[in-house]
Amino acid sequence: MTATETVALREMKSSSRLQLSRGMKTILGAFVLLVVVSALVAPSSVSKGAVLGMLPFAAVMAIIGLGQTLVVQQGGIDLSVAGSVSIAVVYVTRLPEQDNHRLWKAVVVAFASAIIVGIINGILISRIGINAIVATLGVSSLEYAVIMAISQGSPRRTTSLLNRIAANLTLGIPNAVYYAVIATIVVSVFLKMSVAGRRFEAIGANPRAGGAAGLKVKRHQMSAYILAQLLYCFAGVLLGGILTQPTAYQGDSLVLPSVAVVVLGGTSLLGGRGFPAATAMAALFLQQLNQMVLALNVPFGVRTLVTAIALLGGIALYTIKWSLVRERIASIVSSNSSGNSSGKSKKSNGLASA
Amino acid sequence: MTRTKSRVLKVASSVGVAGLLLASAITSAATSHAAAAPSWCGPKKITAALTDGFGGNSWRLVTTAAAQDEASKCPSVTKLYYADGQGNTSKAISDIKGFVAKGVKALVVFPDAGKAVLPALRSAYKAGVVTVPYRVFPGGTDGVDYTAFIGSNFKQAGILWANWALKNLPKGGNVLFLSGPAGNSQGIDEAAGFWGVMASHPEFKKIGAQPFEVTNWDPALSQQVLTAAIAANPKIDLILSDFGPSLVGALTAASKTGWKIPAFAASDGNVLGCFWQDNHAANPDFNMFTVSTQNDHARLAIDYAVAKATGGKLPTTTSYPSYAFEDSVSGKPSAVQCRKDLPGDVYLSAQMSGDLQAKLGKK
Repeated sequence: MTATETVALREMKSSSRLQLSRGMKTILGAFVLLVVVSALVAPSSVSKGAVLGMLPFAAVMAIIGLGQTLVVQQGGIDLSVAGSVSIAVVYVTRLPEQDNHRLWKAVVVAFASAIIVGIINGILISRIGINAIVATLGVSSLEYAVIMAISQGSPRRTTSLLNRIAANLTLGIPNAVYYAVIATIVVSVFLKMSVAGRRFEAIGANPRAGGAAGLKVKRHQMSAYILAQLLYCFAGVLLGGILTQPTAYQGDSLVLPSVAVVVLGGTSLLGGRGFPAATAMAALFLQQLNQMVLALNVPFGVRTLVTAIALLGGIALYTIKWSLVRERIASIVSSNSSGNSSGKSKKSNGLASA
Repeated sequence: MTRTKSRVLKVASSVGVAGLLLASAITSAATSHAAAAPSWCGPKKITAALTDGFGGNSWRLVTTAAAQDEASKCPSVTKLYYADGQGNTSKAISDIKGFVAKGVKALVVFPDAGKAVLPALRSAYKAGVVTVPYRVFPGGTDGVDYTAFIGSNFKQAGILWANWALKNLPKGGNVLFLSGPAGNSQGIDEAAGFWGVMASHPEFKKIGAQPFEVTNWDPALSQQVLTAAIAANPKIDLILSDFGPSLVGALTAASKTGWKIPAFAASDGNVLGCFWQDNHAANPDFNMFTVSTQNDHARLAIDYAVAKATGGKLPTTTSYPSYAFEDSVSGKPSAVQCRKDLPGDVYLSAQMSGDLQAKLGKK
């Protein structure tokens, strides 16, 4: 058996649906470590109040991350998170004007608009072939124009009903957490257990092979952008409920973290298999990291730095081929141990030839 | 290959341009004319512009409306443009440059990004535009980098909070202060004012990050920061906030976990007044004091810029005062105000009536 066959076999085994992905193992390990470190250096960040305060935001980030995972695994990237989350917040606060009876209409409008935005993104990227970064940024600024038209830059207060739905506790756990868990299960089951989901993953892993096998590549890529928008919209509606008095640009600070949690969860930015559960876990990790750094009472600059280092570590973990690094180190060590004289002679040879 | 590329570029740029056009069409606002011109309104006809570094909250909406209302009192101002930087420093800078290129004679700027927009202000000023930054100090000097900076006495707000705290918390206590972006001059001055008074009162102690907890005035970040602060400090006796309404969500969330709201000194907002009315009975320590949120600061900036550009009479001051608004204990100068019939995000301390503010954005 050749080395490549062994690798292929290992890959096949690891892709068994019920096994924990490498990303999940890593992020789960990192999260446990983070909780231990938090308990040691900033005990208040793992107290009941802090955890209850952190969870709703982790839940929102998890749902956004799920959407971004779907896009990233198709080899795309979706920067319209900013506009899409903001616009959902604006719809569900501005349209009902604090009247609970008008909330449902606003939610329907928000989801309808999400589908339209998803279709626009999908057409621009999968049909016309515009770079995903350019297209989604452009669409995001269009969404901001709509936000200005609806709200003049200022959403209203959340309706009391939405606040209860999103922010109340059920059995001691914030409601948003339940929604995030349900969303994660739905996306995971879709991707890993449904025929459509398996096709979706196959195309993400290799669009050409998918196309050759008769799968509709463009249609699947487009569906990724639409499904992502539905998830962003869901997250935006929840965020609107969690924040009693939101701003019009509430999605702005969520773009980078949305990509970060995807990467931390082990989904490759080059496309391929997606790991929704690991993405959701990464959202929890990132939020707890924020909470710990907040509790450490360090200056704001240091806070941002710590988050950046965590991201860098996460990306390095998956993108650097550690087996190659190990091989390189091993070869250096072995060449050193094989005797200094040979090293010296190589050097002198080099000099001579120069 | 090149054809595909150029097609891609065309579509991409048209999407971007369409977005920008739509945004500017919606945000540019014309002014209507009023009959009797005030003394700051000179005879020279001008067009003017107002730029915001970040316009996405109700405070900015009301403040912008106040500026537009003020400009409309002067018939010499034929048009007042508005642009919102949307929290993006490079957009804020290009907005300023864009209006200079458009030929406006007076430019009032809310320089959220501080020193980062100073070069843009300077180039506008050097191009002969009356350039008036207000509220956030961008560095630089009057008459060199811009026409004049119209500041506010934020230190005074801190002093007002401190005097109220001394009266109502005789035993002192732990004080948590939440302000906007890291290093913003408003928060620094307020902290200096407050702790200047407290220098001789060691019974008041600082807790949390200093000089203030950074919240970017963002309700989401405020909520996370407050949660962390409550977890880290079991005893908080006084919370200070220079954007009180942005903390309502955070306070609501925190009290859901059984935490009791302490004394609160902040800036006003209808949502905050109503929040106090609904919650003070269940939170016995929740006394509240507010200073005016100063939406009308923009009026002074407009007065100054228009006076300079039209040849009118300059206002006598370049600093907008801080003054007390509500006090839940003494009821002076006003008891806590709540208009449940109006949206939460109107500011009852502003010159513009709450009813008028509620109509903003309902075009």
